[in-house]
Amino acid sequence: MPQRETEQSSWFVDAVLPHEPGLRRWIHSRFSAIRDVDDLIQETFSRILKIHESGPIPNPQAFLFVVSRNLAINKLQRMGLEYAPETEELDPLVLADEMAGPFESAALQEEIDQLVAAIQSLPDRCRQVMTLKKIYGLTQKEVAAKLGISEHTVEAQIGIGMRKCTAFFQQRGYKTRNSR
Amino acid sequence: MTNIPSDYDENSPIEIAASEWLARLDRGLTPEEQDSYTEWLAQDAAHREAIGRYLNDWDDFDRLAGIHLKHHARIDPDLLVPEHLQTLKGRSLVQNIVLFSSLPFAAMIALVFYFAVSSPEETSGLKVQPALELLARIEQRTLEDGSVVEINRESVVRAEYTDSERRVYLTKGEANFDVAKDPDRPFIVNVAGVDVRAVGTVFSVKLSKNEVDVIVTEGIVNVKPSASLFDTEQSIADSFLEIGQRAKVNLRTDVPVVEVTSIDGTEIDVAHRWQPRLLDHDEILLGELVEEFNSSNPIQVTLSDPSLANVSLSSSFWSDNVEGFVRLMESSFGMEAEWRGSREIVLREAN
Repeated sequence: MPQRETEQSSWFVDAVLPHEPGLRRWIHSRFSAIRDVDDLIQETFSRILKIHESGPIPNPQAFLFVVSRNLAINKLQRMGLEYAPETEELDPLVLADEMAGPFESAALQEEIDQLVAAIQSLPDRCRQVMTLKKIYGLTQKEVAAKLGISEHTVEAQIGIGMRKCTAFFQQRGYKTRNSR
Repeated sequence: MTNIPSDYDENSPIEIAASEWLARLDRGLTPEEQDSYTEWLAQDAAHREAIGRYLNDWDDFDRLAGIHLKHHARIDPDLLVPEHLQTLKGRSLVQNIVLFSSLPFAAMIALVFYFAVSSPEETSGLKVQPALELLARIEQRTLEDGSVVEINRESVVRAEYTDSERRVYLTKGEANFDVAKDPDRPFIVNVAGVDVRAVGTVFSVKLSKNEVDVIVTEGIVNVKPSASLFDTEQSIADSFLEIGQRAKVNLRTDVPVVEVTSIDGTEIDVAHRWQPRLLDHDEILLGELVEEFNSSNPIQVTLSDPSLANVSLSSSFWSDNVEGFVRLMESSFGMEAEWRGSREIVLREAN
């Protein structure tokens, strides 16, 4: 499907690539122990392309930061280093970045709404954990600190949350373009 | 939302086990867990199917990254509670969402952004703005052949590779090159019309107003001013540099001469002070730490009260991490930092 490929690559050039210098600077400043930044960025790009292939990404910039941060933390763990979670009241500094473009179609919006609806259907604790994990991109440790609960509880809530979300999708017959 | 079986049961042992593995994978497995995870995967195809589905769906949720609302810049665990969402007038969630990355860890970028947008009027009487480019970390770039370039602040390096040669242009400032070996493709740094040529070596190049300065710390390099660029018919001598040698080329003479001298370790250290290194001390006096920091950075730290120099502390941060150093002083050692001009930070005890 050459048409799809062209769309995909122009989306990548317009919505993703402009954030590369900022992402690079941020990784350098926040994860100075990681020397192979190119590798990390490549991995993040391939993740965003794969996910975008199967559905919309409303805020590519935030996606890049969240995903590369998770990858970086994993990398640190493999290097045997501990990632110090951010202390709580850091300024909610805002990078006023307008959405790259309006949503392509109602169908795509619906996919995002489905994900939101699934989280909304969860019990309170579960919902909070999923919100902090997926919208704000916090680590389990940070989620625990933010909600004042144990890391063990956060981990357990993630398991419960994902099972309940799966049941929710199954009952509603929700599908992404990925589903066969 | 991938291939959910029609008889999905959220309470079945396999689903419970798989979702628990997902949560552990997200947190990071311990070596012991890594072993039991591999074992669990090998036990049953149904295990692999289930964890594959959870991993896919988990990644799917990353689409929601950063969809906070403008008036919810602060982290709000209850962002998705329906009453919170009613403040959005009518339309569907995503249409209304103003997409920010107001993520806490975007602090450094946001800091840069803040300085970039605030006008001097707005900040007069407040903190003085530091020079943006001086706050950035030293950039380390890996080129496509695996050569690694450390680029000092306010410096510009551009690489142009062909099948026959690897050519890099240093048009401003200084950089250190750790060159990957490739005898078939020479590595050449062109700086102001002077070619510095290497095969698998480590060397630094600095361009200042009147001269090019090359120092070799590993291998051999050849330094050759190009005749055409210097607009001279005379042949220009080139020079080979070995470890511990330095070449200076004066750019203001008609016929450039490569002057080679030998330098010792101390001189090399001084010339390479800008390159990032970990300032890792179990116990050091603040005065010494500040001295070490200042020797590596264009931004200079001074202590408001000389007695602070005798405060003993432990530290671990990269020498080029200005912001990190300031934050460390403020958060862990009860200090207050104040910018004085764009290149000076004064540290004092917080009240």
